[in-house]
Amino acid sequence: MCETCGCGNKDGYRIVDPGSEEFQHDHDHHGVHSHSHTHDTDHDHPHDHTHHETISLNIDILSENNLAASLNRRFFEGRKVLCMNMVSSPGSGKTTILEKTISLLKGKKIYVIEGDQQTTLDAERIKNTGAHAIQINTGSGCHLDAKMVDAALKKMDIEADSILFIENVGNLVCPAMFDLGENKRVLVMSVTEGEDKPLKYPNMFETSHLCIINKSDLLPYVDFRKEEFIKNALQINPHLEFIDLSSKTGEGMNKWHEWISALFKLI
Amino acid sequence: MHEFSLAGEVIRLAETEAEKNSARSVNEITIEVGDFSGVQVEAFRSALEILSEKSRLSKASLNIIRKKGKGICPDCKQEFEMEERIDTCPVCGAFPSEISGGYEFRVVSLLVDKD
Repeated sequence: MCETCGCGNKDGYRIVDPGSEEFQHDHDHHGVHSHSHTHDTDHDHPHDHTHHETISLNIDILSENNLAASLNRRFFEGRKVLCMNMVSSPGSGKTTILEKTISLLKGKKIYVIEGDQQTTLDAERIKNTGAHAIQINTGSGCHLDAKMVDAALKKMDIEADSILFIENVGNLVCPAMFDLGENKRVLVMSVTEGEDKPLKYPNMFETSHLCIINKSDLLPYVDFRKEEFIKNALQINPHLEFIDLSSKTGEGMNKWHEWISALFKLI
Repeated sequence: MHEFSLAGEVIRLAETEAEKNSARSVNEITIEVGDFSGVQVEAFRSALEILSEKSRLSKASLNIIRKKGKGICPDCKQEFEMEERIDTCPVCGAFPSEISGGYEFRVVSLLVDKD
């Protein structure tokens, strides 16, 4: 079994540039390494001379991911790349938002890393908008990690002064734990979800900077209580910002554009 | 599901340390897991069992130290224990201004066998 993503497939994750047949498999499967040694003793009777020892560590288990994330962050700083990690439940409308956002940001250099368990469908959709896109297939994996992003970056040759969106795997649990090196984490919630989501999935709300309340055109037709949702989210993260948005009607797209542009000026 | 990748990290960390210390096997691994860390302990335990099968951790027992969630009250400035992330200060009723505990997820120590 693959220990990077827990998948049954020994190939683990793969990185695909849609349109090109080439793909890359980017983690080593560490087999167990056995080691043996001989004892030079001047007596030949067998005896047990094992002893026990406690090794104190106190190491953060995510330290390797956090280190890789710091390296990604440095890369973004050096090239003046604004990187946003887009997280959500499946079906919240991330890819459609990205398609619309790319046409809104015309004239800027836009790159997208797509994370999904299977297929290159999303990366193909993004490529059709004219942006550069690369797909990471996580196999059975439920999140992207900083090393996968690093492997994708090595395939992308990102130019300076550009914007990179990372569309994470649709999942409100696992991606919260994994820093990818992004400047900002953008959480997309749709109004067809419940207003208690922040209470059920606090880690994701706590680590995000902006919450897009998507599919706002459906508000008159659903029971979503927006004020209650915002109250719940602010209890978990008092610094969270909100933008109501509809990819369909275009509501909120200007505000979202301004939010990105203001950040882009700062980097 | 991410418990599998976390268990993989733990094995890598422990193997590296065992190698550095010329240890033959790991008998016990002690890990701190905070209540807010997002780690499901039973899933993590199973993942570690499955993935460690052929490693130096194959016979290691897993000692988990649960760490309670803790918050600092913005009003009385006291630290209080939290069962859930939405708990408020038992004295003032305020939401914590800072979470001071519960996010731990680290390898504390290894008990190893050496020749």
